[in-house]
Amino acid sequence: MADVKLSGVHKYYGNVHAVRGVDLTVADGEFAVLVGPSGCGKSTLLRTIAGLEDPDGGAITIGGAVVNDLRPRERNIAMVFQNYALYPYLTVNENIAFGLRARKAPEIEIRKRVSEAADMLGIGNLLQRYPRQLSGGQRQRVAIGRAIVRKADLFLFDEPLSNLDAQLRDEMRTEIKRLHHEITTTMIYVTHDQVEAMTLADRIVLLRDGKIEQQGAPLELFEQPRTGFVAGFLGSPSINLVPATLKTSGGCAAVVFQSGGALTLPSARAKLLTGADGQEVLVGIRPQHFSRAGGGPLRDGVVSYSAVADLIQPTGTRTFTTIKIGGVDAVAELQAHDVSSHGERIDLAIDLNRVVLIDPASGLVIA
Amino acid sequence: MRVGKLPARKARILALRYLGAGVVTLLFLFPVYWLFMISFKTPDEIYHVPPLWIPGQIQFSNYYVLFKDGDVLAILNSLIVAGASSGIAIVLGTLCAYSLARFGTGGENLAMWIISQRMIPPIAVVFPIFLIYVYFGLVDGYFGLILIYTAFNLPYVIWMMRGYIVDVPLELEESALVDGLNRWEVIWKIVFPMVRAGLMATSVFTFVFAWNDFLFALVLTRTEVITFPVMLTHYFGGQSNFWGKIAAMSVLGTLPIFVAVSVMQRYLVRGISLGAVKG
Amino acid sequence: MTLSASLNGAEQRRPSRLGRMLEDRLPYLIVAPAILILLLVGLFPLIYSLIVSFQRITMTENDTSFVGFLNYAELFRDARLWAALGHTAIITAIALPLELLIGFLMAQLFIDRMPGRQLFVALLVLPTVISPIVAGATWRLMFDIRFGPIGEILSFIAGEPVRILWTVNPAYVYPAIVICEVWQWSPFMFLLLLAALSNVDQSQLEAAEIDGASYLRVLRAIVLPAIAPVVAVACLIRGLDLVRIFDIIWALTEGGPGSRTETISLYTYVQGFSQFETSYTAAISFLVIALLTLITTLVLKRMELAR
Repeated sequence: MADVKLSGVHKYYGNVHAVRGVDLTVADGEFAVLVGPSGCGKSTLLRTIAGLEDPDGGAITIGGAVVNDLRPRERNIAMVFQNYALYPYLTVNENIAFGLRARKAPEIEIRKRVSEAADMLGIGNLLQRYPRQLSGGQRQRVAIGRAIVRKADLFLFDEPLSNLDAQLRDEMRTEIKRLHHEITTTMIYVTHDQVEAMTLADRIVLLRDGKIEQQGAPLELFEQPRTGFVAGFLGSPSINLVPATLKTSGGCAAVVFQSGGALTLPSARAKLLTGADGQEVLVGIRPQHFSRAGGGPLRDGVVSYSAVADLIQPTGTRTFTTIKIGGVDAVAELQAHDVSSHGERIDLAIDLNRVVLIDPASGLVIA
Repeated sequence: MRVGKLPARKARILALRYLGAGVVTLLFLFPVYWLFMISFKTPDEIYHVPPLWIPGQIQFSNYYVLFKDGDVLAILNSLIVAGASSGIAIVLGTLCAYSLARFGTGGENLAMWIISQRMIPPIAVVFPIFLIYVYFGLVDGYFGLILIYTAFNLPYVIWMMRGYIVDVPLELEESALVDGLNRWEVIWKIVFPMVRAGLMATSVFTFVFAWNDFLFALVLTRTEVITFPVMLTHYFGGQSNFWGKIAAMSVLGTLPIFVAVSVMQRYLVRGISLGAVKG
Repeated sequence: MTLSASLNGAEQRRPSRLGRMLEDRLPYLIVAPAILILLLVGLFPLIYSLIVSFQRITMTENDTSFVGFLNYAELFRDARLWAALGHTAIITAIALPLELLIGFLMAQLFIDRMPGRQLFVALLVLPTVISPIVAGATWRLMFDIRFGPIGEILSFIAGEPVRILWTVNPAYVYPAIVICEVWQWSPFMFLLLLAALSNVDQSQLEAAEIDGASYLRVLRAIVLPAIAPVVAVACLIRGLDLVRIFDIIWALTEGGPGSRTETISLYTYVQGFSQFETSYTAAISFLVIALLTLITTLVLKRMELAR
C-alpha cells in the first residue's frame, strides 16, 4: 500500500521536452488514469515512476520515500506492459512465478500465490502452456497475474488493452475494474482511450504536451471541464463546438450565431456572465445535451431548436444525427425512433444548463 | 543533444563502460598501429632491438620503393578484379534473387542448391579449376580471376538480396505494373532503388572478399596479374623478410578497404545481422 | 505523378510478340546468367574432380584408367593427412569458443545506450576486414623474437627477458595462430551478437528488471534463448571458415615448423601444387567436402529440431 507523489518532474528526450513540470498526488488505494493524446507524455511519466527512465528534474515519492535513486526492482512496483512482455521460453506458471523466484521466495509460498492469482484471473487451466499457445486476452491475464503475485505497493499499467480487439477490450476492462475492487492497491493506468479512462478511474489525469491539463473524478472532468481541450477530449462522440458571440444586457445573456439565430442562456448562468458582452465564444454542446422536444413546456434553461436531420447513424438504442446549428455541423444523440429519415425536420430541445462556453483565444472554459 | 542528468550510479557505470570500450579498442587496434609504424620507419628503426615504439620521424621511403618498383600495380589489379567481380555479382545476383523472391523460381531446391554453393570450400575446387583454366588459357588473366570471384560471390549476393527484396512491399511493384510498366522496368526502376541499403552492404562484402582472397589469386595467376595479397607474400624470404615493404604494401592494401567500410558502415551492421537473422 | 504519366503515352504500349515471349520467360531468363556461372565454377569442377579421383593422374603419369577407390583407400593410410585433420580440429576447437566468448563480452559492453558507439564499432571492425595475409604478416612481425613488441611486453610483465620463437617453437605455434585468428574474427562475432542482443524484446527485459531478476537470471532465461539462433548460425559460419583456414597459416608459419601447423587446406595445396598428385588431391578434396557437408547437415538438423 502506498501513495505516489510527483513534484516538479521534468523529462527531456533529446531536445523534446516530453514532461514539463508535473505535480501529481495519487492517494493510497486510488486508481489514477493518465490519459491524453499521443505524445502528451503519459507513457514517459509512467516509465519515470517505474524507474525505467530517469527524470531530468523533480522528485518521485512512493509511500513517503523518495525513489529517484532506486532501481525499478527496488521500488516494489509491478507493471503490466502493452505487449504483455511474457517470457516466451517459460510456461505460464513459470512466467507468473518469475518475480517471486528471483527474490528467492519459499517454494510453498510461490505455489500458493500463483494458484491464487491464476484462480482470480481464471487462467488456472493454462499454467502449463507457453505464451505462444495463448490468445491475446489470455496473455494479458498472465501479464496481470505476474504483477499481482508480487503483492507490490503500486501497480502500473502501460496501455495494456491497446493490442486487443474491441470486444476483448470491454471484457478486460471489467476484469481490471474488478481487480481493483478485490486488491485495493494503488494503481496508475495509462491509456489514450477516454472510455477506458472514464470507466476505470477514481481520478483522471488528463495530460497535454507534457503538462496536466486537468485532473479529478471522471464526472467532474466531463461535466465541469476547465478548458476546451478537456471538453473536447472526453465524451464520445466528442463535444460540438459552435462559434458565437456573447451578448449580455440587464440580467440576461444569449449566444448569437454568425449565421443568425440565437439561444438565450438560463438566468443562473447569465448572472455569471455580466461584463462579457460582445465576447467571442465557442459554445460546447454535447450530443447528449440535445433531445427530442416532447411537445410540453420546457424546463428553465432548456430551449427549443428546429433542425433538419442530415446524416443519421443508428446504433440500436440511440441514433446519432447530424444537424446544422450556428452554421456548423453538430452531432445530436437522440433516442432510436426520434428520427427516421434524412431531410426530416425535427424539433429539438437543448439543455443550456449544461453547455460550456469556451474562450477561443485562451481555450479556457468561461462558464 | 541535451543529455538528461543521470543519477550517480548510472553515470559511474557509463564512465566505466567508456573506459572498457577504450581499452578494448586500443588492444584490438594496437597491431594495426604497429603495422602503420613499421611502414614509416627506416630499416634501422625496424630492425632495432629492443623495438622502438614510435618512429623517429615519419618517412615514406618504404612507400616510395613500392611505387618505383611498380609493385603498386598489384593494388590496381586488385581494384580492377574486386570491383568488376563485385559489380557483376551484384547485378546478376540481385536479378536472380528477385526471380527467387517474387516468382519462387526453382522452388526450395534451387534456393537450397545456391546456399550450398556458398559452403563449397575453395580448397576443394581450386585444383580442378586450375586445370580447367590451364586448358582454356585463362590463367594469369583478368577475366579468369573476375570469373571465379563473381562465382564465389553470387551465392552470398543471392542469399542477402533475397532477404532485402522480400522486405519491399509487393504493392509498390503491383501498382507500377498496373500503371503500365513491364516487369523488367519494375525491377530496375522500383526494386533496385528500394533495396539500395542492401546493395551497399552486400557490395562491401563482395568487394572485401575478392580483395582479400589469397588462394585463388595465388593459384590462378603467375606474373601478369598479381593482386595485392599475393604481392605481399613475395616479400617473405627464406632468410629475411622485407618488413618495410610488407608493412607499406599492407597499409596501401588496407586503406581502400577501410575507406569502403567506413563509408558503408551504417549499412554493415544491418548487413551482417540480416544475414544471420534471416539465415 | 504516376510513373505512367512520366512515360508519356506509354499507357497504351503493346509489347511485341518477342517482347511478350521474353516477359513470360523473364523469371528464368534473369536467373540464367547467375546459375550458369555457378554451374561452371561450382558443379563442373566437382564433377571433373570426382572423375579424376577415380583415376591415377600424377605429375609424371597420366593414367586415366579407372582404379576404383584406390586413392580413397590411400587416404586412410596417410599419416600426414590425419595429422592435418588433427591440427585443423585443434585450431577450430580452441578458436571458435574464444571468438564467441570475447565477441559476446564485447557486445555486452556496448549494448546499452552509448553515444559515440558508432565510432568504436567502425574502428573495431578493422581487424575483420583486412586480408588474413596482412593479419598473419602483422602478427608475425609482432611475435618476432628480436624486434617484435610482444616479446617486450611479456618481458616487462614477467620482469625478466621472455624470448619465444612464436612461429617456430612447436609449443607456441598454436597459441600464435589462435591469437591471430581470434584477434581477427572476434569483432565479427561482436557485430553479430550486438545486432542479436539489440533485437531482444526490450519490454521483456524491463519486466524482468521490475520483477527483480538478477543479471545472470535475465541472461539465462531471456537473453540467451533469444540470441540462440543467431549464435548457432554464427558458429556454423565461423566453424566452417576455421576448418578451411589457409591464409593466416600461410602468412604466419607456412605450415611449419615442418608440417606441424599444416591444416587440411594446406595439405591439399601441397599435394596439388607441390607434389602434383592430381588424383590424390581430388580424393582429398572430396574428403574435405564430405566432412564439411556432414558438419553442416548435422548442425542444421540440430537447429531445425530446436525450432
